Amino acid sequence: MGVIGYGIGVIGAGLGIGIAAYGATTAMARQPEIQGRLFTVFILASAFVEALALIGFVVSLLA
Amino acid sequence: MDEFARLPDEVNELLNSFVSQPAIQTEHITITQYSLAMFIAVAILLVVLFVFKKKQSASLVPKGRFVNGVEYVIEFAKKDLAQDMLHSSWRQHFPFIATVFFFILINNLLGLIPGFHPGTGTIGVTLALALISFLYFIYVGIKKAGALGYIKSLMPKGVPFPMNIMVWVIELFSTFLRLITLSVRLFCNMFAGHVVMGTFAILASLFIERFAQGVTLEAFTGAGISILWLLVLIAIYIVEMLVAAIQAYVFTLLTSVYIQIAEED
Repeated sequence: MGVIGYGIGVIGAGLGIGIAAYGATTAMARQPEIQGRLFTVFILASAFVEALALIGFVVSLLA
Repeated sequence: MDEFARLPDEVNELLNSFVSQPAIQTEHITITQYSLAMFIAVAILLVVLFVFKKKQSASLVPKGRFVNGVEYVIEFAKKDLAQDMLHSSWRQHFPFIATVFFFILINNLLGLIPGFHPGTGTIGVTLALALISFLYFIYVGIKKAGALGYIKSLMPKGVPFPMNIMVWVIELFSTFLRLITLSVRLFCNMFAGHVVMGTFAILASLFIERFAQGVTLEAFTGAGISILWLLVLIAIYIVEMLVAAIQAYVFTLLTSVYIQIAEED
């Protein structure tokens, strides 16, 4: 059951990273000159999203 | 495929190896495997820095790959982590930011060596690190505006009366939540990455064990599957190398963002 719960939880994180990458690539295509700044923000955002998935992973291992 | 049936037991054994165990034990002191990795990381960092300083001062112009490589990483930390975030006051906070960055980076990278546990792979170390950066940005905020002024500055300006108390409570709560998110993010990344790598290593080793029963067709298919798992393991290993650097970067970047927020108000 825990594994199924983790699978459901990861859907959210996957959507989150997908939306972040979509936004970053679209913005980079529109304005290549702010690529460096955008990349920093993208990495930060995906770290936030990824943390949720990893918390789920650890909790499903421990519980 | 009775290999898959044996997997849960092996993974449980793997998980048990992540619990803090004494690596060096004497009468008075016990050093766990995580502390040992941390000490080794600090020793490596000190040796690298002293050798770098000696080599750098040998000539006026930086020469050689080692000196230039270390300078590149320091320049990167200076520009991306300090100057871009803190603007005018970066010089004052750079020693702290660089210390945190290099400590986490070396610890994460050391954990990638097979057989090692990363110093940052336990909640104790990451919570201590998060506590240090938490205290640091609280200190910066208090030095800037005074204790009462800092607490008051969490309240946003321009919000009408009954709402601003509520927003203030939420802001105060989220300030303390930073402590938990900072530490849990780093810990979970390191722990989960190593568990995944360990699982694929176990799978690769389980399928190659068919050779123990004799050289048959089944043993060769087992070896084929094993090579497949090994390829997956190598891919995950490369991703983990990236994660080790990115997590050090993210932790430090968030620290400097928090310092900047505390200083701004």
